Amino acid sequence: MATTTATLSLSSDMLSSPISISASSTLMKAGVTEGLELIEMGRGTIAETDGSKTAEFGLPTALGEDKAAKLFLVNKATDPTYYIDIDLHDTNIGRLYAGDWMFIPWGMNDTASELVIEAEPSGATCPYEFVLLQEPQTLEAHS
Amino acid sequence: MATLTPTLTLTSTDATTDQLAFSVTDSLTVKAPSQGLSTIIVDTTGANNIIVPANADKQTWVYVRHTGTTDGSTTTTQHCDIELTGDVAIGTLKANEWFWFPHCGNGGSTGVQLQSVSGSIQMEYGYWSDSTAQ
Repeated sequence: MATTTATLSLSSDMLSSPISISASSTLMKAGVTEGLELIEMGRGTIAETDGSKTAEFGLPTALGEDKAAKLFLVNKATDPTYYIDIDLHDTNIGRLYAGDWMFIPWGMNDTASELVIEAEPSGATCPYEFVLLQEPQTLEAHS
Repeated sequence: MATLTPTLTLTSTDATTDQLAFSVTDSLTVKAPSQGLSTIIVDTTGANNIIVPANADKQTWVYVRHTGTTDGSTTTTQHCDIELTGDVAIGTLKANEWFWFPHCGNGGSTGVQLQSVSGSIQMEYGYWSDSTAQ
């Protein structure tokens, strides 16, 4: 069984009681005690002129409901004004500014949950990197 | 204003032959409004469990963790959905899993809510407003 561990550490100097959080979890398949086995990772670049695009990892196939997946995405732009809008299909859910990252459980069930990215503002170009951990997909018959 | 430093470490020694091991960090300048580390008992109606109020354009960092309990002591394996207000599902947390996400209403006036798939779940959460691009 594959054992992949994701740990988040959060610290801050805010107020008189600084934040210090450490949360760790082993990434499992849905409903069982087996680890996620399929790992995709890579990098890409999206420009504002590209418009709204489904990312390489954004529309998985052969995955039905109750499948587990985790997505890490980081905006590698260096201009602090450049950001990547994150959409689930037609709904904007957040944005990553230069250097920011996210780690989410992703309900990658159907087209409605496709993950769409868009670079902003005008003239922006954002390199990005991703890691997608998921359950094995059904192999397709050869053409 | 204050600095919030999130760090992700992702490791595996047996998922693949080439071991997975990386760490990424960020430095965020945050300000009010914020919600320090808190807990909430989540039920099966998302609208009852709004953890980030709806806003149109604030960049807000959201941390959520499933405690694996119903009340801090009784174990549960029920899943918890993370949604935008209005019931737009983002994903599902299983026991002891966590979530780190940059929510932005982006003109849509949305917040973040939690919804148990079944029964009650004690969830841990916090949010902090980013000082950029409000």
